[in-house]
Amino acid sequence: MIDEQMAVFIGSGLRLAVPIIFAATGEMLSERAGVLNLSLDGMMLMSAFAAALTSWATGSPLAGVAAGVVVATAVAAVQAVLSVTLRANQLVVGIGFNILALGTTTFLYREIFGPLSRDPIPGLAQLNLPWLASIPVIGPALSSQTGLAYVSILMVIVTWLLLKYTSFGLAVRAVGEDPRAADKAGISVARTRYLGVLYAGALAGLGGAFMSVADSNTFTENMTKGAGYLAITAVIFGGWNPWYTLAACLLFGFATALQFLVPALQLDVPVALLLLLPYLLALIAIAGFVGKGRQPGALTIPFERGG
Amino acid sequence: MAILELSGLTKRFGAFTALDNISLGIERGEVHCLLGENGAGKSTLCNLIFGVHRPDAGTMVLSGEQFQPRGPAEALQRGIVMVHQHFSLVPNMSVAENLMLGRASAVLKPQDIIVRMGQLAAEYGLEIDPDALIEDLSVGERQRVEIIKCLLGDPRLLVLDEPTAVLQPDEIDALLAICRQVALRGKSVILVTHKLGEIGRVADRTTVLRQGRIIETVTMEGADMRALVRSMVGRDVQSAGSVLAAAVDIEGKVPAKSAMDAVDPTSSGEAVLQISDLVYRDAHGLARLDGLNLTVGSGEIVGIAGVEGNGQTELGLILAGLASPSTGAIVVGGTPVTDCTPQQITDAGVGIVPEDRHAVACIKELSVAENLFLGAIGKFSRFGLLDKSARRKAAEAMMREFDVRASSPDVSMASLSGGNQQKAVLARELSLDPLVFLLAAQPTRGLDVGAIEAVYNRIRAARDRGLGVLLISSELEELMAVSDRIAVIYRGKLVGELSAGSFSREAIGAMMSGHAHV
Repeated sequence: MIDEQMAVFIGSGLRLAVPIIFAATGEMLSERAGVLNLSLDGMMLMSAFAAALTSWATGSPLAGVAAGVVVATAVAAVQAVLSVTLRANQLVVGIGFNILALGTTTFLYREIFGPLSRDPIPGLAQLNLPWLASIPVIGPALSSQTGLAYVSILMVIVTWLLLKYTSFGLAVRAVGEDPRAADKAGISVARTRYLGVLYAGALAGLGGAFMSVADSNTFTENMTKGAGYLAITAVIFGGWNPWYTLAACLLFGFATALQFLVPALQLDVPVALLLLLPYLLALIAIAGFVGKGRQPGALTIPFERGG
Repeated sequence: MAILELSGLTKRFGAFTALDNISLGIERGEVHCLLGENGAGKSTLCNLIFGVHRPDAGTMVLSGEQFQPRGPAEALQRGIVMVHQHFSLVPNMSVAENLMLGRASAVLKPQDIIVRMGQLAAEYGLEIDPDALIEDLSVGERQRVEIIKCLLGDPRLLVLDEPTAVLQPDEIDALLAICRQVALRGKSVILVTHKLGEIGRVADRTTVLRQGRIIETVTMEGADMRALVRSMVGRDVQSAGSVLAAAVDIEGKVPAKSAMDAVDPTSSGEAVLQISDLVYRDAHGLARLDGLNLTVGSGEIVGIAGVEGNGQTELGLILAGLASPSTGAIVVGGTPVTDCTPQQITDAGVGIVPEDRHAVACIKELSVAENLFLGAIGKFSRFGLLDKSARRKAAEAMMREFDVRASSPDVSMASLSGGNQQKAVLARELSLDPLVFLLAAQPTRGLDVGAIEAVYNRIRAARDRGLGVLLISSELEELMAVSDRIAVIYRGKLVGELSAGSFSREAIGAMMSGHAHV
């Protein structure tokens, strides 16, 4: 009984962490290049909607994921133009995007899905790998995930390899820390930052698409519920390191999943309080841990070439 | 054969013409010095060659081909490398990572870079630990990394923008030797400087720039140094001799005297500054100042000599009230100011010319007038409102008196040259009332000859009207030219003292390196 509940808890914790892992991992790389995408939540929401719509229209959830990635990357491209080329304030641009995304998706959802909101949306199937399922306690939780969940972990590894072992990663770190030095070393600061933002967009797209076509198989208004903000917090919490960021995402995922476990264990804790928990944790994390991990020196500072 | 041929280069920034019709050829295998005061256009010229800026008119030809770099990347690709005045190294990355930046293959290969570093170490004597983090290296070591970075790609032309400004004398010698080595191997070197002493030791030819124009290009064999100074400054510097020698680092003949005279500090008037047993421990618990005792009398200039990092910066911060001493006492004109706020220290009659002009001494975004009365805003307020026209008038008077050159008191501090910024800071500090003591920390760093002369004259005038002055400087020539007494700081303590007339480079140098006892 307890085992079963633990399996559900772990399974849902992982499932809830996946979108944040995607978004945080991409965002971490973008921030290492010096660009903060406060619009992360908006990118995810747009992607979730695009994925749901495409999956519903074509019957293919994979096409939905692809559409989500394309839309989120397009949003990221606009964000990059504004914050890299036009040197707009990154925070203001991000907030603007989030409001725009919420409005757009809500409007389109009501226009397109309004009367059809009960129509099922084709979703990705769970992989159910038998060799995984045989592991005690966590086995069922791990094997009941969709392929996209494994991709999220793969992306953490890819991002870590990129940053540590490739010249692109070196350029990203240099551009985020000291763009002037990078520029003088012959690196294109703008190009590197564009790639960083687009990378964050593509991954936020995967995260958003996961929410609508892999997790809930539906779209609801404002369905990200601030997952993008949690991802940004996870990056800070994780000290701009891919593995610590992953750990922070898992923490947030499991904190959210507590709302299923606690009532099941018949503990008398208000559910509303549990819903609050991840956000509360995020606040505590920022207050207690910021300053431990050193943020990239040029984070949010637009680069302008000068003497 | 000229490797780089510049013809008719012009560069404007807004209404300001930084470079005007520059034509110049850089030969293969030569060390070519660019000499000029600050603002003469030396750095701008380098930045054009390196592709940081683009010329408004004129052409460049590199090895017979048109050269119009759209950015540093293109200059690098064509074999032009540059060491900038401000280092372009990423502080929290390792030496090897910095060296791989911008030139590595898709996947990083640290081993290759380490092998190449070994070759350069053998060829030029440029040794450095590839795994060290940049932020842990000294200034000289960081520059070595910059030079290694430049030489990695086997360049044709090495551009060095004021490389010696930040170095110790022995590091300067090593750098100049490397320049010769590089030239010997058939590469060309452009060396920007305003120190004549260096030019004499390293240059094949020198081009003098003034106000964006080429005044002359001379072959160094048999060149007349005095004539070069005249071209550079555009007039005879009135107080030539020691001040000029100090500013441009011509080997000045200083009477060498082996005996060190201990000076009775009280002989020069009453003490205006008295520091006793000052100890300062930094965040790591290291004693940066370790029982320092010092007295400055009224009407005397006391110089503090020392290799950087021996406590002089901390001494300056403590005197300014920006750091609190661990133990010890500081008395200014009878008022104890140990552990006081900057405001209380100012009220006690202390004027401060801080070491870091940009970060501490002025607010660059504010106007000259606002900076001149930064500490005295209340002086011009009526019923809580600011009387700008009164302040403007007062600022204009002060600017006239101290020869601060700006088109109006309302222009931003940032638009002034370094020399005029420093004059404005001096004007503000020397106009304090009461004023009994002035601390001048590295007051001429980065200034040109004319401005240096003005700063020296101001400091001397302050002494003559009875102030006590403490001059902290890393330029030995400067200390010897201005001070009445030089105290040498070593590891947070004063280890010796000489009075004017018995200054000797050798003796001070020995004490600075801890080789002599009092």
